[in-house]
Amino acid sequence: MREFLKSTRFKVLLAFLAFLVGIMIYAVTKGGYSLSGASFVQTATKPFRFVSNGISMKMERVTDRISHADAYYEENQQLKIKIGELNKQLTDYDDLKKEVEELRKLVVIKEQHPDEIFSQPAEVLGYVTNDPFKGFTIDKGSSDGIKPYCPVITPEGVVGITIEVSATTSTVRTILSPDLSIAAVCSSTNTDFGIVEGTVLTAEKNNTKLTHLSPDHKLKEGDLIITSGNSGLFPKDMAIGTVKSTGFEANGISACAEIEPCADIARLGSVFVILDFTGKKEDADAAKDTP
Amino acid sequence: MRLKTPREKRILYTKTTVRWILYYVLILLFFTIMTSGTYTKPMLLVPAAICIAIGNDVMAAAVTGAVCGFLTDMACGRLFGYNAVLLTVFCVAVSLVFELYLRNKFANYLWITALVSFLQCWLDYKFYFEIWDYENDERIFYHVTMKVWIYTVISSVAVYLIYKLINRFLMPKEHLTIEEVIKTS
Repeated sequence: MREFLKSTRFKVLLAFLAFLVGIMIYAVTKGGYSLSGASFVQTATKPFRFVSNGISMKMERVTDRISHADAYYEENQQLKIKIGELNKQLTDYDDLKKEVEELRKLVVIKEQHPDEIFSQPAEVLGYVTNDPFKGFTIDKGSSDGIKPYCPVITPEGVVGITIEVSATTSTVRTILSPDLSIAAVCSSTNTDFGIVEGTVLTAEKNNTKLTHLSPDHKLKEGDLIITSGNSGLFPKDMAIGTVKSTGFEANGISACAEIEPCADIARLGSVFVILDFTGKKEDADAAKDTP
Repeated sequence: MRLKTPREKRILYTKTTVRWILYYVLILLFFTIMTSGTYTKPMLLVPAAICIAIGNDVMAAAVTGAVCGFLTDMACGRLFGYNAVLLTVFCVAVSLVFELYLRNKFANYLWITALVSFLQCWLDYKFYFEIWDYENDERIFYHVTMKVWIYTVISSVAVYLIYKLINRFLMPKEHLTIEEVIKTS
């Protein structure tokens, strides 16, 4: 031992130890930054450590799964139940949201037309198969107070009238149909009266037609056409559509205009039925107006 | 005619019941398809009614024609019973024609379907559009009626295959095969 302590090897070892201590003290003075050598090693070994760490983590996960399988299963079941409850809440929320939106629209219409009695919002069940005039069926019927020849509207404007009513459903004839005539007037001039009546040609473009206009009318593109309320079928001042183009009838005596309905009749989601309004004609009389 | 054992009778009864349930499930499915969406659609109930009329007796054909007709009336918003009357008459006629004159072959089915659906579409156009003298009503004939008819004839191929499949497994055999005759004797 004495020989070792006196040997050169021991002195070299001591010197090496002192060097290491020196490095350590130097590292303390760097204030958190790595020494250049250490940094090099870190960089060089990074990919290996990455791979190795990945393998280790995987192994740990496998072990963890095996050892805690029961606990995870239990947790999974509870989470599934929770997801189910949350989904149900989400569906309820969506339904409520939809209902609130519908009622909000109804409030707006009601404010504009205080003397009218509306039905609950009616969902469109489906369009009449292959009907060129886009007739449709709604999910409200006589049990909701709907009768034949009740006006059907959306917040945007007039859509049509009910023509056939069962206890829970009603069929609606739209303003694209030639079988529905509505007395109308231009909103801006209030003098250009006419009759809104669909035709085969305009229905192809989801538009309708304003007929029996005076030849010296003052209608121009974009003018709003509203109900005049003369027929007793529809309440007064309800938007029908805007003027798209004007022209003359084939007979050359009266003028006409193509009307683009305010409501997108080919893509209806829900509508409202006006159950009663001031100046409403009796059903029998109304029926005469609509062939 | 060969006498049936109780077991054979039971199998026949079960098969017939299942077959008719499937017939009507398909009819309801076709009705649902017809009432969905806004595009022009084939009158699927017409080839369905003809398919059933071809393989069955006159009474069954009449009832099926009426059911399909009522459903067509509901789907198309027509006077309730209008298509029922038409399809009942057509189905009875088809059933009789196939019983007396025609063989149950695809080609025969196709031209009969084309004829019946054309008559149905043409009468629909006549009674619901032309008779009211709408301006440019011929456009409806070319753009809607003919389109519906072509779609119906094309779709009738698929309808035939479906009903053929059902009949293949569930329809009782009218005639014995040579093997069965040999086995029986």
